[in-house]
Amino acid sequence: MNKKGIIVGVIVVAIVTGISVSYLSPSSETVNLDMGRTHGTISTAMASPILGDPSAPITIVEFGDYQCERCYEWFHETKPSIVQDYIDTGKANLVFVDLAFLGKDSIPASMATYCAEDQEMYWEYHDLLYNFQEHVDNGWANSERLKAFAFSLGLDKDLFESCLDSEKYSKRVQYNIQQARENGVRGTPGFFIVGPNGQQQIGGAQPFSVFKQILDPMI
Amino acid sequence: MVQTTKLVYSNFKYVILASIIFVSMLIGLLILSEYIFLEPYVVAHLPSGSEFGFVLIVILSALSALVIPMNVFRINILKSSKQKMGGGIFGSIIGAASGVCSCGPVGFAIISTFGSVGATATAFLTNYEIPIRIIAIAILAVTYFTTVKSLKVECNLNH
Repeated sequence: MNKKGIIVGVIVVAIVTGISVSYLSPSSETVNLDMGRTHGTISTAMASPILGDPSAPITIVEFGDYQCERCYEWFHETKPSIVQDYIDTGKANLVFVDLAFLGKDSIPASMATYCAEDQEMYWEYHDLLYNFQEHVDNGWANSERLKAFAFSLGLDKDLFESCLDSEKYSKRVQYNIQQARENGVRGTPGFFIVGPNGQQQIGGAQPFSVFKQILDPMI
Repeated sequence: MVQTTKLVYSNFKYVILASIIFVSMLIGLLILSEYIFLEPYVVAHLPSGSEFGFVLIVILSALSALVIPMNVFRINILKSSKQKMGGGIFGSIIGAASGVCSCGPVGFAIISTFGSVGATATAFLTNYEIPIRIIAIAILAVTYFTTVKSLKVECNLNH
């Protein structure tokens, strides 16, 4: 009887401990979304985390595809100057919204970035994809490569793989694609510069001078 | 070869036609390939690494402007067959189609309309942009030489 009581007691303690741990420990796959987040006419609730100061007066909303070579050009040619002059200085921030349309690997690549966000490495993973971009659908962004990229960043392999394989963020990416369509984005990269007095659309991988001409009067 | 080309372009009408083809094709392709932007400001931009693509567009436009009027001359003046004209137009179209699809508005429209088939086609045209443009230039070059050869015979320029 006494022995039985001890066994029941151990089981109860184990169950209580298990439940407590699962509630108290931070879940790596928790999605922390602000469902009311908008920038101008765009709902960015499901988009990337904000790059830069969230209270900056201007937000640059970028619509992009990880397989788009023009997005690659913009990432390498124009974005560094924007980050240096406007984002690092707190004058503007940037949000990336997926318009994954170019090929079959475009949507998995976008989903992978949110799996990286679960481990607080969204922008690192985003940058990695644009640094290793190759031709559309040639295998550079297939499931195995996306997992290898995560491994190279030191992300938790099992968590990342379970997230990607379960297509946990499929609807999030679809929501972002829908935002692009609703806002009249007709190709990537596409931009909206959202300031205190309205928003201005820019289509294509335009040079830094164009962004400067729009951003400076808004500050 | 020079004699034949001079014969065609001695008629000012063909010089104008060649100029219209060159300018419209060059500007059109530069806009579609996103070397020139019209909104929000008119701006030209040549990203590093895309210089070769730009040069190919200039060559493609120049060859189209050279070959197409020569074939119009053959058809109008000599009432010859339209076969070589087809080669010139075909070369111009495949050269123009490569690269302009990619992630810009043209590619987006094609993929939105035709789905996965459109995506496969645009991916092919984007991935092989440079080789396709080189093939298009080769087709136009061959069309130019065969047109010159035909004109020599048809106009009795060797006699």
